[in-house]
Formats: sequence, C-alpha cells, structure tokens
Amino acid sequence: MMQFIKNNKFLMISVVMLIVISIIDMNYTYRSLENTWNSIISMLIIVPPIFVMIGLFDVWVPRETVIALMGKESGIKGMALAFFLGAFSAGPTIAAFPLAMVMLKKGASYSNVLFFLMIWSSLKLPIVFFQITMLGFKFAMIINATMLVVFIISALFVEKLYSDEELQRFEEKAHTLS
Amino acid sequence: MSIEGYIIYGLAIVLTMISLLKDKDKTIQGLKKGAKSFMKLMPVLLPLFLFIGILLAIVTPSFISSLLGEESGLLGYVLGMSIGSITFMPPFVAFPLGRELLDSGGAYPQVAGFLVTVMSVGIVYFAAESRFFSKKSAIIRNSISLIGAIIVVLIVMVVYT
Repeated sequence: MMQFIKNNKFLMISVVMLIVISIIDMNYTYRSLENTWNSIISMLIIVPPIFVMIGLFDVWVPRETVIALMGKESGIKGMALAFFLGAFSAGPTIAAFPLAMVMLKKGASYSNVLFFLMIWSSLKLPIVFFQITMLGFKFAMIINATMLVVFIISALFVEKLYSDEELQRFEEKAHTLS
Repeated sequence: MSIEGYIIYGLAIVLTMISLLKDKDKTIQGLKKGAKSFMKLMPVLLPLFLFIGILLAIVTPSFISSLLGEESGLLGYVLGMSIGSITFMPPFVAFPLGRELLDSGGAYPQVAGFLVTVMSVGIVYFAAESRFFSKKSAIIRNSISLIGAIIVVLIVMVVYT
C-alpha cells in the first residue's frame, strides 16, 4: 500500500484535490473531469502518429547514426538537429518525452535531448506564429530570441553539472521506459 | 484537428508506406514497438492529465487576470512569474490571456514573465521530468527556464519603459 502511494504520488495528490474541491463546490469537480476528459481525447487524437514514427525510428535508424548525429561528439551539428526537431514539431510538450526517451536510448547526448525538449516546449514554430499574432511581432521576438539564447548557453554547459555515471543513468532509464 | 495534426498524420502514413515497401517484418516490429512505448507511458501520463484538468478548473484565465491586474511594478513582475511557475496552461489559452492582460492595462514585463514561466516552468513538467529523467534534471531544467524568464522581464522592462 505504502509503495503504491509512493509510486503514484501524482494520482494521490489529484484525488485529494478532487475530494477537497468537491466539498467546496461540485461545479469545480465537473469542470475538472470535463477538462481531463477533453485533454485525454485530444491527446489520443494527436499522439498515435507520433508513436508510429517513434517505433519506425527505433527499428530503422541505427544507434551509430544517432550517436554520430546527436551524440556527445556531435557538437554544433547535434544542437542544430535538436533545434530543428523541436521547432518543426506539433503536439503538447508531454508528447515530446517519449521521443526524448528514444533519442537517449539510441545514444543522443543528454544536453542535445534537453535542448530539444526546451525548444519544443517554448519555441516550436506553431507556438511562435500564434504568439506573434496574439502579442505582436516585437514583444514575441524579445521573448523568443532571449529564450533561444538562454537555451543555447545552458545546453552548452548543462552536462558539467553531472557526473559521467549520472549521464549514463539517463540512457539506462530511457531503456526501461521506451 | 489542426493543420499540424494533419501534417503529422500525413507524415506518419507516408513513412509507414515507405517502411512497408522496404521491409514488411521490420515495419510490423516498429509499429509494435511504438504501441508498446505508448502503453508504457499511459500510466505516467493519465494522472498528469487528471492533475492538469483540476488545475485548469481552479485557475481560470479570469482568476489569473484578477490576480495580475492590480499589482504592477517590481512586486507585479515577481507575482507574474510566480503565478506562471505554479500554474499550467496550454498555449492557446495562455497567449490570448496575455493579450487580454496587456489590453486591460497590464504591464509588459509582468505579462512577459507570466507567459514565459507558464510555458516552461511548472509542477506538471516537473513531475514528468522527474519520472523520465531525474529529480535533479527537473530542478535544473526548470531553473534554467526561470532564469530565462527573469532575463526576459529585465529586457522587456528596458525596451518598454
């Protein structure tokens, strides 16, 4: 039982929150469940082709290729590729994680995978275009250009914060998760 | 479904066709692998969706604009980033809200801080990242984005005042 709670912390927190808001106002509960249902449905619509591509990627692209393109020694080329993969993407950030796991599993470096995730979360092109139409070109560009510079600098140095074993463990974890 | 949705479906179909033409067995193996990693992820994702659903019910756009409308100045900027860091919102809700905040007199730096943090800092990502990478990685990645948000606020402050 304790183990179950420990492994499902998020579920437990959510259930407790649901109970609390139900006591306050049932309308919140209905709205919560409706939101959850809607996001599950929209995820089930967008996510299947992503997993099809992840599966195909897994069988067709050899590990050596990924290491050469996005591995530790890939340098600027690896970062550029991570940028394009993140920018020309669609779907919620949550959908980027399985892709990130396959990349790690195949030998892409942690910093490139993290860079890919950061670009996907804030700088993918559909978001940037939407941002420009909503907020105006200048304001959107200040935000995006600044974040791009921050992401590039942090991707260059982030691995220094980890030991080799810790970096190795990311790849091992990716094997169990994908 | 949005245009990006159609593109991604089209791409998946084309790639599957090419793959089938080249090697049928390998294709089936790949599709099975894809389905398997989907199955493995669902138990991680579903509680997250429940959590996001609850969060979106409590933290509505009007709730946020009531919080961010009043305060401006340094306290307002900090408030904007704090609220953005705690809450979660999909982009198609967050950006119109940003526009609305600006139109109703919100300060640019405050709105910028809110938008950057709401997109890239948060407990939802933190949970997913701890699961997929490690707690340390989640802390580092969220801190990087928070630092980015602070820099954005400072630049916007200089440009717009």
